[in-house]
Amino acid sequence: MEPLLRTQALTKKFHQVVAIDSVSFDVRPGEIHCLLGENGAGKSTLAECIYGFYQPEQGEIFVEGKPVQMSSPAEAIGRGIGMVHQHFVLVPTLSVLENIVVGTNTSGILLDLGRAEKEVKRLCERYCVELDLTTKVWQLPVGQQQWVEILKVLYVGARLLILDEPTAVLTPQESRALFEILRMMTRENMSVILISHKLNEVLQSDRVTILRKGKKVATVKTDETTREELTAMMIGREVEINLTKDDPVMGPEILVIKNLRARNDRGQAALRGIDLVVRGGEIVGIAGVAGNGQKELFETLIGVRKARAGQISLLGEDITRRSPKYIQEKGVAFIPEDRFAEGLVPDFSVEENLILGSQRAARFKSRGFIDFVRVADFANKCIADYEIATPSGKTITRTLSGGNAQKLIVAREFAQAAKLTLANQPSRGLDVGVIEYMHQVLLEKRREGGAILLASEDLDELYNIADTIVVIYKGQIMGAFPVAEADIQQIGLLMVGSGTDEFGVACRI
Amino acid sequence: MGDFFQTTIIVSILAATVRIATPLLLAALGELVAERAGILNLGVEGNMLMSAFSGFIFTYIFGSLWVGLLAAVLTGALMNLLMVFMAATLKVEQVVTGLALNMLASGMSLFLYKAFFSGSGNKLPTIQIFEVVQIPFLSTIPYMGEILFSQKLLTYVALLMVPAVWFFLYRTQYGLEIRCLGENPKVIDTKGLSVTLRQYLAVVCGGVLIGLGGAFVTIGSTVRFIPEITAGRGWLALVIVIAGNWKPSGILIAALVFAFLEAFQLQVQGVGVQLPYQLLLALPYAVAILLMVVKRSTSEEPGRLAVPYFRGER
Amino acid sequence: MNLGSLKIEPRLEPKFSWQLLSALLALAMSMIVCALMLSAAGADVGKAFYQIYKGAFGGWNATVKTLVMSTPLILTGVAVTVAFQAKIWNIGAEGQLFAGAMMAYWASTFLSNSPSGVVIPVVIMAAFIGGALYGGLAGYLKARFAVNEVLSTVMLNYVIRYVLSYLLVGGSWRDPSSFYQQTPKVAEAAHYPLLLAGTRLHLGFMVAVLAAVTVYFFITRTSLGYEIRAIGFNPTASRFKGIHVGRTVVIVMLISGGIAGLAGAGEVFGLHFRLKPDISTGFGFTGIIIAMLAGLHPIGVIAAAILFGGLVNGGIRMQIFTGVPTAMISAIEGIILLFFLTSAVLTRYEIKRVKADG
Repeated sequence: MEPLLRTQALTKKFHQVVAIDSVSFDVRPGEIHCLLGENGAGKSTLAECIYGFYQPEQGEIFVEGKPVQMSSPAEAIGRGIGMVHQHFVLVPTLSVLENIVVGTNTSGILLDLGRAEKEVKRLCERYCVELDLTTKVWQLPVGQQQWVEILKVLYVGARLLILDEPTAVLTPQESRALFEILRMMTRENMSVILISHKLNEVLQSDRVTILRKGKKVATVKTDETTREELTAMMIGREVEINLTKDDPVMGPEILVIKNLRARNDRGQAALRGIDLVVRGGEIVGIAGVAGNGQKELFETLIGVRKARAGQISLLGEDITRRSPKYIQEKGVAFIPEDRFAEGLVPDFSVEENLILGSQRAARFKSRGFIDFVRVADFANKCIADYEIATPSGKTITRTLSGGNAQKLIVAREFAQAAKLTLANQPSRGLDVGVIEYMHQVLLEKRREGGAILLASEDLDELYNIADTIVVIYKGQIMGAFPVAEADIQQIGLLMVGSGTDEFGVACRI
Repeated sequence: MGDFFQTTIIVSILAATVRIATPLLLAALGELVAERAGILNLGVEGNMLMSAFSGFIFTYIFGSLWVGLLAAVLTGALMNLLMVFMAATLKVEQVVTGLALNMLASGMSLFLYKAFFSGSGNKLPTIQIFEVVQIPFLSTIPYMGEILFSQKLLTYVALLMVPAVWFFLYRTQYGLEIRCLGENPKVIDTKGLSVTLRQYLAVVCGGVLIGLGGAFVTIGSTVRFIPEITAGRGWLALVIVIAGNWKPSGILIAALVFAFLEAFQLQVQGVGVQLPYQLLLALPYAVAILLMVVKRSTSEEPGRLAVPYFRGER
Repeated sequence: MNLGSLKIEPRLEPKFSWQLLSALLALAMSMIVCALMLSAAGADVGKAFYQIYKGAFGGWNATVKTLVMSTPLILTGVAVTVAFQAKIWNIGAEGQLFAGAMMAYWASTFLSNSPSGVVIPVVIMAAFIGGALYGGLAGYLKARFAVNEVLSTVMLNYVIRYVLSYLLVGGSWRDPSSFYQQTPKVAEAAHYPLLLAGTRLHLGFMVAVLAAVTVYFFITRTSLGYEIRAIGFNPTASRFKGIHVGRTVVIVMLISGGIAGLAGAGEVFGLHFRLKPDISTGFGFTGIIIAMLAGLHPIGVIAAAILFGGLVNGGIRMQIFTGVPTAMISAIEGIILLFFLTSAVLTRYEIKRVKADG
């Protein structure tokens, strides 16, 4: 059977960094083929090369046996290859239909939405997707936005679907539903390349190609391998969960949130009465799909967003209406979701970023001016203590890798004794090694008696380090469970609002 | 003062409003298309000035208004071409580029004017300008006839451009693509279409409209060329885009409001009412600031306005 | 696509040497365009360039005149630099210059019998306050109402021009004995002392250089300077880390406007000795070009301002001797900025040699 797609010795570099190194693999018609690897292993880059978004330095791509020069996505689309990116590529202010139709230019100059609508509706029916085509994308929950992305690809007649980490933003039920639909597609002889680092999903595919540091490790049949084997190939060493999590020693209540209400940037209610308590020596993990209020919660806690109602107390003191400066000086550390956009000034040097927020502190000044010698000393200590890989403290932060940028933020935030640590998706986009490091650091804080509030889309992470798991859904806390009693099925249901099936699948096969 | 409220005066003010709105409307619509494509072109003023000058000088040289008009349009397109080259290809800071174009136009128009007419002594060169075109039958309607149907050609063009631009943006494929560019260019890129090409097309077409606006200031209005003849109209056009909330209909209203202020001021001066004329001259600019203060929370400003698009960058 | 030899890639860390190179390259390209424009105008290119040079730096007198000319440019350049470092596009240095000049003049009318030691400090402070208030207004509009500062400062430029005109034509500031739109001459005591006897180089030049040096230390060494740069590079992260972005924006515009106001005082009390509409011929806008060319470095601004001051003087001499209109210099200024922006792209990219792998 001639493979639908085959790559031969594909190599792609960015600056001097080799993203993928001589990767050869193939995809057969009607199969779900997983690309497995850690963050930075090259999975997305490989996919983007196949899709024509990037041009490889070396290697070839064959579609149905014929060599093809994928000079642009238009080329790929023309050959029936479609890609759904990890971070959605949608125009929030346009409607679902417009997002699907834009650029497909099938009807001349005029925009014929009527004809397109019929076609899209047909696709929706075929795959049992319920979606109102006239809603603006920003109004859709993340899971449904994913469907818009998939429809975009189906609308232009893709036979090979590339999905980049599609379930990162889905609840367990939505993931299952997605896979059922993917199977439906493969039965029609379509193929799927599924990029993932979640073993649960990988095990549902037909074959897996494992990438590590840009090189292909192996391609195996999924039913002939095990989790452990896959993990070992993915990481390249035996995985030791080094996390020694002591028994919880709960201290006093450090953070108490009562009936907290706030709006999002669009003026809609984002927090609808959050009640939460975090004690010293406790890690509270917030489970939930992105877009249910996590961002707004953290922003309100650190004082950047105004609370409309409710109360936030830190060690008994009401900090609801306080400024970020005040709150941080009271011992609150914050690790934001988006490292480079929210946590750092990318054009500043590493040193300058390490004093961000403390630029007025007496310990960095002498005679009224910033004392750069003291700053450098502090920076060097941080770089050493936290093993931040950087040529020097004067290096521009933009050049740091995601993991090192995160370490910089942690070093900075923990430089002052933090009674309360807030972390929003701290492991997103990081290698296993750095993730382990992050967890160690957080557990250390926990051991010291600090309170930690952590939000993560990765349930495994929460099970690993949290003491208590709460679920956030549409701005409310749906339930709180000590981790030993937290049943993943129940958590999954709560993540979609207590059993109400609100994802976009109306029927199942 | 009683005379002031006579209908003839009101009609004359309204007619003047439509006339004065012409360059503002054209320039603002041209800028709208560019901004919808994600390019903030602060060089509108400079563009209008150079186009105005081109219109004037080519009319003078060739003795033909149509040649002048063509020259103005080409100049408008070229100025904007330069802008989009720097913004979309070189991806330099758009704000400063626009300013640089203004300064260039300011100096260049004056330099060329003086250099060209250096030998004419004290006699200032003049040209024949566009005449009013009375629309048959419609111009005889009482009141409306004078206000709407006894204008110059470019005014009719400007008014027609409002639905035309609307149709282009909302009823054509390209319009949809352009609207995407300003919000999320990656959408276009991942569909395999050229972001840069589309930005070029949008901005250059916008430049054509701006060129028409500039043309009106000279060959549509006055027989002479004065340095800085555009007098801030380009800047007002930028404010009009904001005040009109990036929609053709809103832009029409905003342009008429500003034009009305000026028409009113002219009439008042003519009648000799005791108001310091500087106050009236400053009024449009003050109103502009006020409008910007008021017009913020419901803004439909293109999300990626003035942000250069880089493929796959951190 | 592998060409195997040269590749253009984004540069990770910009180097000063490249920035300097791009500035010089821009100047060189502009000279070429200038030569083309001159020959198109039918002038003798060599003669024109020579006269520009003579007018700018040809001899002691010319050089001192250039320093006089550069005085307001240093100040507007520094004013723009402060704002641009915070990514606040202050296009209103021109208007703030006038606001400062007007406030200073107004203050001086109360002190017509006071000695220099009193008048001059008051005048300088008043100029700073006047410019600061006018700039601060735009800053406030931006911080509180998210009004685009480019447009608001441009609008304010127009507004103040009309206010000045009103005061000078129909209002109380008009010099009754003169035909022109201007105030009467200011008192002798209010004249800025000369730095060099026999020239027109006045105190303003010292004020300008001091301002540049002060701002340099301020931006690089103080906490507020750090915050200004932080909000310019990443206002979101700045906000998250406790920096009050709105307040800093207003402070930046107060400082920026104030410095531009000092330029206005310098021209009124150091050069023309009266207030009139043409104490500034676009200094606020030239300041923008100077600031960009200097890479937003306050000390670099001094050099760039002197260069441009020379250009202006050179242009005047060129017009006298060759008849080429001074408007060419204005055009060239715009061209220099465009070339600079283009060549600055060089500092963002680098050409690397890529080995052709087998």
